[in-house]
Formats: sequence, structure tokens, C-alpha cells
Amino acid sequence: MKIFQLLIISVIININLQAQTPYEKGMKQAFELWDQNKLTEASNLFERISTVEKDNWLPPFYAGYTLVLTAFEIKDEAKLKLTLDKAKSLLSQAENLSPDNAEILIAQALHNTAYINFDGQKYGMSMSSKNSSIYQKAIDLAPENPRVILAKAEWDMGSARFFGQSVEPYCKDLQRALELFQNEKKSEVPFYPDWGEKRAKQILEECKG
Amino acid sequence: MRILVTCISLLVAFSAMAQNEVSGTVTDKKGQAILGANVYLEGTYDGASTDVDGKFNFNSAEEGEQVLIVTFLSYLDFRLTADISKMKNLNIILKEDVNTLDAVVLSAGMFEAGEESRVTALKPLDIVTTASALGDFVGALQTLPGTSTNAEDGRLFVRGGSAEETQIFIDGIRVFAPFTPTANNIPTRGRFSPFLFKGISFSTGGYSAEFGQALSGVLQLNTIDEPDQEKTDISLMTVGAGVGNTQKWKKSSFSINTSYINLAPYLEAIPDRNEWINPFQSATGEMVYRYKVNDSDLLKLYGAYSYTNLDLIQDDINFEDGFRFSNENTNLYFNGSYKSFLGQKWILSTGFSFSYDNTDFQIAEDIVENNDNSAHVKLKLRKRFGNRVELNFGGEYFITDFEETFIGQQFGQFDYGFQNNISAGFAELDIFFSKKLAAKAGARLDHYELLNETVFSPRASLAYKSGEFTQFALAYGDFYQNPIPNYLKFDSNLRPENAQHYIANFQFVKPKQIFRVEAYHKTYDNLVKFDDDFPGFTTSYNNNGDGYATGVDVFWRDNANIRNLEYWISYSYLDTERNFRNFPTTARPNFATAHNFSVVTKYWIEDWNSQVGLSYTFASGRNYTDPNQPGFLNRQTKSFHNLSFNWAYLIDQQKILYFSAGNVLNTKNIFGYNYANQPDVNGVFQRQAIRPNDDQFFFVGFFWTISDDNKSNQLNNL
Repeated sequence: MKIFQLLIISVIININLQAQTPYEKGMKQAFELWDQNKLTEASNLFERISTVEKDNWLPPFYAGYTLVLTAFEIKDEAKLKLTLDKAKSLLSQAENLSPDNAEILIAQALHNTAYINFDGQKYGMSMSSKNSSIYQKAIDLAPENPRVILAKAEWDMGSARFFGQSVEPYCKDLQRALELFQNEKKSEVPFYPDWGEKRAKQILEECKG
Repeated sequence: MRILVTCISLLVAFSAMAQNEVSGTVTDKKGQAILGANVYLEGTYDGASTDVDGKFNFNSAEEGEQVLIVTFLSYLDFRLTADISKMKNLNIILKEDVNTLDAVVLSAGMFEAGEESRVTALKPLDIVTTASALGDFVGALQTLPGTSTNAEDGRLFVRGGSAEETQIFIDGIRVFAPFTPTANNIPTRGRFSPFLFKGISFSTGGYSAEFGQALSGVLQLNTIDEPDQEKTDISLMTVGAGVGNTQKWKKSSFSINTSYINLAPYLEAIPDRNEWINPFQSATGEMVYRYKVNDSDLLKLYGAYSYTNLDLIQDDINFEDGFRFSNENTNLYFNGSYKSFLGQKWILSTGFSFSYDNTDFQIAEDIVENNDNSAHVKLKLRKRFGNRVELNFGGEYFITDFEETFIGQQFGQFDYGFQNNISAGFAELDIFFSKKLAAKAGARLDHYELLNETVFSPRASLAYKSGEFTQFALAYGDFYQNPIPNYLKFDSNLRPENAQHYIANFQFVKPKQIFRVEAYHKTYDNLVKFDDDFPGFTTSYNNNGDGYATGVDVFWRDNANIRNLEYWISYSYLDTERNFRNFPTTARPNFATAHNFSVVTKYWIEDWNSQVGLSYTFASGRNYTDPNQPGFLNRQTKSFHNLSFNWAYLIDQQKILYFSAGNVLNTKNIFGYNYANQPDVNGVFQRQAIRPNDDQFFFVGFFWTISDDNKSNQLNNL
């Protein structure tokens, strides 16, 4: 009987282990790769998950997001465009599953920023006006989302610097973002985006300094 | 115990299942390892990314027949259906996708501007921030090789061809009267404002079979698919004012632009050589409506209206009191296009345009009024076969109804004109043999109703990518064009004019650097000749003209080496002679200069929030006929120089102050000489230099954009 009990326990343990669904396991593994800065591998894994989780916007969102991050290192325009086109289609896939989602809008703006980062003269004009309207839309959709406020403030500060203006007015936006971060409740949806607090602090430091 | 055994064996079985290993190597055709490819079993989480050696390895609990997928950017997806137990030590070779950016481009003859082009000679901003262009996009194109500077005309003269030999298309549909008529020595400008367009491609020869009715060049303008945001633009200039507005809705958008230009105040302050009765004024309006039928299908409607008039007396050696010239022009243009993805890789593009153009001229004592009603209808289908073959074919129909009334002091009134409809069909096949070698072959058939003639024009081009940054291209084409209305209105017994192009091109493209050299030879045939000073009723016409043009165009652009500086250099060498119009013999036409050189620079000064630009244009002398000496086009003017300067100052993110000055060195340029009809008492024909109306030009403008985000500005309108 003892053995039987043990078996039940082990089965329970097993179920517990099994309770970590393949989805959770996969996502966790992808985030680990991301932490190790293996962006391509992370993106590939998120993408693989997205082919199975057809109704979940998070895997294609992260697949696109990480791919956009890889684009900032690319030196070849052909490769840049291929990478960003793919990232864009992943983000649209996410957007179709979750329309009017401010988190996805931020990633789309980052996608455009990657182009500007590559060649400001060529892409600056059209991409920056695209970004301006994306951020406007994001702030209308989610005025209390700290990541939206942070991303918009960073963007505004970048433009202000470009035009030789003071970044001062945006510091209070950062302050507000930071407060919202501190009060942000963890989402019940696992793996919901919650980044940004560290970044907000870091930029606020620059503001003060 | 039995239960336990069962359980344990079950567990073991589970573990055993999880041990199904999938492994292999991914390489390209040459056996080079591919790093970062995504390898996975369809419909599962099981997969891996390839490592530096192209190797992958993962375990799967799946059983039986599975689909293995390998994907990597710029390669076609790989699929393998097999039993999972056999998916070990696989050698997977990915096929390259021949339609990626780094593939060979069929580029001979072509210059592209805009984000979507693969090799960008001009960027969107360049169109409007080139100092010598004065905000005219055609002016910016004149800094590219293959064009001859004719500063008194303003239109495009491509590789020894006259201005009428280059046609303009908006969204693939023909524009019939792209330039506003002006008086002698006053350069015209394109009617269209550059910022409604997202891409411009300018072809100086060897273009696709899709385009007919152009002997020398094709300029394609594509309107913006979807504007970024709602905004209002206001511009105040020393020569006029403009207002623009864009509205967006969920599936559609609407942009409108209007402007009013009047040169009176400017001429009051800085008089030129003319005696103006009515200084140049123009009122223009353009609008675009775009409607997204669904994710892929798009409808665009474009309309433009323009009214211009001017009235002046120009000095003329043959008229003691000067030569009176006036014109009043009304132009209405409408263009609609529709693009639809039909599925199975079929794409339909269709469109039509209609143009109404009315001009009243007063030429000395005579009055000429003409009406040109033209239309173009076109349908094109594109189909892809696999990854490597693309077929384009379609048909088009041009309608032209031209009427003119002449009221002469001596001769009375005459009415005349012509109707010429042209139907055409074209087909073209693009074949990518590999990422390095591509070919295009096509032909078009044009039927001219008025001339009752059908002509066949084959076209072909080939491109080979010889290295990571270099490629060679060849192109050949046969081109036909209707004789211009100036002849057709008097004589319809003419034939279409013909040109043949042979082009060889080499280009070196690195990020932010382009070097391009192109050699060409063109032959002309069936050019219209006539036997009078000017084409008229009593003139006789024939198609016995011919000619040739041979030359080399060189282009270098560099944004990489010096921070904040962009520049490009163009040089064109042109050897051409023609026997056409009323030429008594074969000669170099006066619009075709042997050497053209231009440098355009732009420098961004961060501390001043300013972009300053300098551009310099050189053209060797122009031919003219000196009746005091034997021969035709027997003399040459001195060479042409122009140094222009512009300065855009960003007051803040939405307000720009713009200044530009043309010919800052005040060079006295001469385009030719006008000789007296009769010799003076000494038997010498006196002459008068043909000079620009004003040697220098100054422009100041203030541009203000109002938008929700407080960020946009009109830098791309300047």
C-alpha cells in the first residue's frame, strides 16, 4: 500500500510538473534565450509557438518584437528590410488577434525606429510621421499604460534633441510613467508585457543629470 | 505490484517516446552553413534554431509521419514529410528566394527615388531639397546623368532626344500635358506637387514593353497609398501662397493641395528683361482620394486643375517694339487606378485618365486657340509562376482629339485639328535564373488609327550580379512614338517616329554609396521633316529624318564618408546628330550639349537646425546658326554655369523658413543667338543673345504644418 501511496504522490507530482503546459514551458524557454541575448533563437521559438497557439497574440507579438531588436544590429539594407518585413508580418498577425492593442502599437513604432536608425535621411521623414501617429493612437487607447507613456516620452525626447530643443517637458511624463509602473498590477494573463520600469528609471536619471 | 509495473513501464514508454531525435544540417546551395534557421515539426512546439555550423538537434514526443519545416530569411521555406524516425542526420539545402532585395535587378536605364526602390539614386527629400531645382521635381531629375541642361526650357531632354520624347505617367497612367505653357526663355515647371508621390522612377532608355509612345525616356510617378496622418499645411512665399489638407478615415483618405502664384510683386522688386503686361500667375489644385476595398485592393482617384496666364513683350531684333506674347491655359486632369489581388498569384491593375487642355495664345498680332482632349485606358495583368517567372501583359487605348483655331491679321480664320486613337497590347516575361542572373523579354504592338499603321516593338534586358556589390546589365529596345500635334494637325499622312536603344550598364552599390556607369547607342528613324521656317498649312512634311546618339553617363552618390554631408555627381557625354525638323543637313541639335556635369551637395548643420545645399551645373556650348558664315548650326555658344544655394532653417518642429538663390555667381549665360531676318547696310546679319529672363532668382518661403502630433513639417515639400 505504501508503494501505492507513493505512486499516487509521484503521479500528483508528475501532474504538477505536467501542469506546466508545453505553452508555458516554451514561452519560459524563449524568455530565457532572450535573457541570454540569443535574440534570433528566442524569436524562432516564439514563432514556433505562434504556429501552434493560433489564437494567442503573445507569441507572434514577442516573435516580432525580438526580431525588431535584432534589426538594430544589421548593417546590410537588404537584410534589414527582409528582417523588418518579417517582423512586421508577425506583429500584424498579433494585431489581427488583438486589435487596438497599445503594446503591439509600441512594437510597431519600434519597427519604424529601426529603419530610421539605419538611414535617417532615407527613412526619417516618412517613418517619423508614421510613429507620431502610432504613439498618438496608443496614448488614446491606453492613457494609463506606463509602457506607452515611456515609449512616447523617449520618442519625443529623441525628436526634441534632433531639433535642438529641451527635453525637460518630457521628464514629468517619465515621472508619471514610473509611478504607474510602481502601481501596475501584474496581469492575470501569463507572459503579458510588464517591461519598462528599469528603463524608465534609467532615462529619468539622464533627465535629472 | 502489477499496477506499479504497468505504471513504471508506461513512464518508461513515455520517456522512450520523448527520445525521438530529429537532427541534421542546413546549408545553402554552395554548402555554406546557415545560422539561425528555424527548424520545427509542423503543429508542435518541437524545434530548434541552427547553430554556426548549420546543425540542429531536438527531441520530440511525436510519432509516425510528420512534417518538418525549415525557414530562413531570403530563402524559400523547406518542407519534408516523412516518418519521424527517419528524420536523423538530414542534409537540408535551402533554395534561395530570388525576389529578395539583394537579388539582381533589371536596372539598365533606370533611376529610382523613394523608399521602396531597391537602388535609390534620389531619396524622397532630395526631390525637393536640391538647390537648383527650386522645388520642382523635374528640376531635381535634371541633376541625374543622361539629361541635357536646357535652363530656358525646364523640361527633360534625355540622351539627345527632344523634350516631347519623354512621357510622364501617374500610377501607370499617362499624363497628357504635364507642363504649364510659358513664354520663350521662361522655364516651365511640372504641374504636380512632389509630395503626393511616394516613389519616382526615371528611365533614360531601354524601358519595359508596358510603356509606349516615348522615344527617349519615361518618368513614372506613384501616388501615396495611405497618408500617415491628418494635417494642414500652410505655405507663404515671396511668389504666392498655398494650403493643403489631409483627412483620414478607417478605409479611406483624402488629400487636397491648392496654391496661387503671382510673380507681380517679385517682378516689381526685381525687374527682369521683359516688359510684363500681365505677370505670370497660376492657380492650381490637386486632390487624391484613396479607398481600401480590402486588405490588398486599393482604389485611387487623382484630380488636378490648373489655370495660368501671362502676357508680355519680349525684346526681339526683328520687331522694333518688341514681340508680344500672351497665353492663358486651363488644364483639367483626372486619373483613376485600381489594383486588385485576384488570388493564385494573379494581380490586376487597371486605370484610366482624362485630360482637357485649353490654351489661348496671342503671338504678335495673331491669335491661336487650341483644345486638346485626351484619354488613356489601360488594363494590366500580372501572374507569378513559382518563384522564378513572372508574366505581365495587358492592353491600352489612347484617344486624342486636337482642335485648333487660328485667327490671323492677314489671313483670316482657320479651323483644323486631328483625331488620333492608338490601341496597343503588350506582354513581357521576367525570368530569374538565379539570384544572380535575370532576364526580361517582351514586346508591344501599337496600332495608329489616324496613320493607319501597326508597329511591333521588341524589348529585352539582361542583368548579372557579378559580386556582392556589383552588377552588369544590358538592354535593347525598339520604340515608336506618334509625331507631335504640331505636325499632325497639319498633315496626317505621317508615320510614327522610331528609335532603337542599346544599353550597357555597370553599377556598384554599397550601403549609402552608388556608382553607376552606363554606355548607350541609339538610332533614330522616320523622324518628321518639313520644309518651312515653321510648320504650317502650306508646309510639306515627310518621315525621311534620322539620327543617332551615343554616349556615356556616370553617376556617383556618397552619404557614407563625411558625417552630415550628402552629395552626388553626374557626368554625361553625348555625341549626337540628327536630320529632322527643317534641318538642311545632319547636325547636332541645339538642345543636345556634348558635356553635362552637375554636383549636388547637402549639409546638415546640427547647431543651426539647418540644412544648407549647394548645387553646380555645367553644360558645354550650344549650337546655333550664324548666317554670316556658311553652314548650318555652325557655331557654339560659351558653356553654361550655374551655382545655386539653398538654406532650410527649422524654426521648430513644424515651422520652416526656406531661402534659395539661383545663379549666385551671376554668370551671364547665353542659350543661343537670334539673328536679324535681313542683313544691315553692311551686309551683316545683326544678332541678339538669347539669355535667361533674369540672371538670378531669389526665393523666400515660410512653411507651417498643423497636425495632432505637433511634429510633422513640410521639409519634404521644399
